[in-house]
Amino acid sequence: MSRFSLLVSCFLLLALTACHDQPEWNDDPWGNFDALWTIMDEHYSFFEEKNVDWNEVGQRYRAKLTKDMTSQELFELCGDMLKELRDGHTNLIASHDVSRYWIWEQYPVNYDERLIDEHYLNFNYRQASGIKYAILDNNFGYMRYESFTDAIGDGNLDHVFTYLSTCDGLIIDVRSNGGGYLTNVETLVGRFIEQRTFVGSIQHKTGPGHRDFSDPFDYYFEPTKNHIHYQRPVVVLANRGSFSAANNFVSIMSALPQVTIVGDTTGGGSGLPFTSELPNGWRIRFSSCPITDVNGQPTEFGVAPDVKVDMSDADAAQGLDTILETAFLVLKQHQI
Amino acid sequence: MFEYLYMNLKRIYLLLGLLLVQMTAWASSAVGDSAADVQRPVTALFTAEAGYGRMLDSYLTPITYTGWHTGLGFEHNQACGFNPEQWQRQLSMGVVYDNVENSVGNNTMHHLRGTARWALMRRWTGVFTPRLSLMGGGMTWLQGGMIYNAANSNNPVSVKGHWTLGLQGIAQYELKLGRVPVYLRYQVALPVVGVWFSPEYDESFYEIYLGNDKNLVQPGWWGNRFDLDHQLTADFRLGGTILRIGYHGIIERSWANHLNTHITTHAIVIGIGGEFLSLKR
Repeated sequence: MSRFSLLVSCFLLLALTACHDQPEWNDDPWGNFDALWTIMDEHYSFFEEKNVDWNEVGQRYRAKLTKDMTSQELFELCGDMLKELRDGHTNLIASHDVSRYWIWEQYPVNYDERLIDEHYLNFNYRQASGIKYAILDNNFGYMRYESFTDAIGDGNLDHVFTYLSTCDGLIIDVRSNGGGYLTNVETLVGRFIEQRTFVGSIQHKTGPGHRDFSDPFDYYFEPTKNHIHYQRPVVVLANRGSFSAANNFVSIMSALPQVTIVGDTTGGGSGLPFTSELPNGWRIRFSSCPITDVNGQPTEFGVAPDVKVDMSDADAAQGLDTILETAFLVLKQHQI
Repeated sequence: MFEYLYMNLKRIYLLLGLLLVQMTAWASSAVGDSAADVQRPVTALFTAEAGYGRMLDSYLTPITYTGWHTGLGFEHNQACGFNPEQWQRQLSMGVVYDNVENSVGNNTMHHLRGTARWALMRRWTGVFTPRLSLMGGGMTWLQGGMIYNAANSNNPVSVKGHWTLGLQGIAQYELKLGRVPVYLRYQVALPVVGVWFSPEYDESFYEIYLGNDKNLVQPGWWGNRFDLDHQLTADFRLGGTILRIGYHGIIERSWANHLNTHITTHAIVIGIGGEFLSLKR
């Protein structure tokens, strides 16, 4: 056989290697369970950090499957298995329910919107896109950003920071902010940095193995050019409900010299979630791309505050937000 | 064997990359004295197709989706000026759209893609019978598009971008249906090597947006991707007008970064066009 013929023959054989079989699962309790277990096994990114033996977990829950179980029973079983991961970004989503592991349900709420609106803002505030803002009686600015899913544009922020520019300090309240788009984090942080700033590293899985990760990719934010910046002291208020993109925002802001974090540890959620699917149409969302802080430390378990304080019932009864009052003290210390 | 092929991959790229250039050189050397006098009519067709699409893209979901496929196309054929009796070129462009859903019917994905392909082919007439002509040669093919899955969080889109070099062939048989000349054609395009875009296994487009462009471009060969575009058509010549009806199939398979893609479409194609005299010799 000539060399050319050999080469062509080899290429024809190799054409088959591009056709890679995809595992298929039946739409029954075993098929859907195995699909869920396999998807998590191959894509979930925090098995080692959370010290979870996924094989053992899978065997334990698979033994509970029965052929007569209802769809609801299967959903609850799968949801319980996912809770072993202790991950707020991991949800099983069906048309009738969403399984969840939200740790803020286990901690003090540490946020009362009505209390702030009534006793600090006197129901008198401005609102630009998703940001509620006002100048308080003590001449500190207050910004409430409820969700990073609310789009914020540079035009919105120009109005906000122009209005707050005369304040002696700024309080950014991201308590109970469940996250959203990381691009909104970049937009907001860009108003507090004056040069290209290293803000963290991101990785992704490169294969189905539990240790198949890319090298950390360092990423930087640029200061927003030709728009107003805020350069005075800043306090960021956080609680366990500050999750995902809000967790990322707190992590990045905590590394800036003019910023103090007050309140409780954030809720974590540092893995950028991906979504996949089971044969019965249920969707599975899971942490996929870990993001670490500027020190290379994971923030999956939350970002600790510089000043730890919980709201007290006694203060709340007097119309006081203990965390916000602590923020005032921090800003006043900067004035001295 | 694999090492041997990898070692020769660069050589294969180079050889196929030079194929079109070399073919042009061969053709130019065979230009006859009468070439300038030969008419080079253009046949151009606009086509529309509809049919069935089957789609798996494991970056988006491990579940295979099925649904309907549509497309619009344009095809332009003309004998080459340097040797019109023996060489022909073809330009084909198109856009396809697939609307596919999962087996339980609770989610839909959308696939949109544009393609442009240019081929240069040697023509042999009167093969076995005076009615049969064959064409074969090289082609280059550019494709770009995406599959969109609105239900996904940070992996809602699988971007498709390929540039390939490969082979193209046409077999054409002429017959008459009553007084109407009919050309039965089978055309196949087979990419051999190229480059294509693929994120890594669970790489998000946010990370790419942040600037990580490592390993996004894959060298394509039959070891990691296989594409086939073929159609079986009948062209009815009604004076200067051409009516086309037939079948158009597309097969795409790829496997890289542990990501699996299977796309198959089967469609009925209809077209209308004509034969025109080019003002340019």
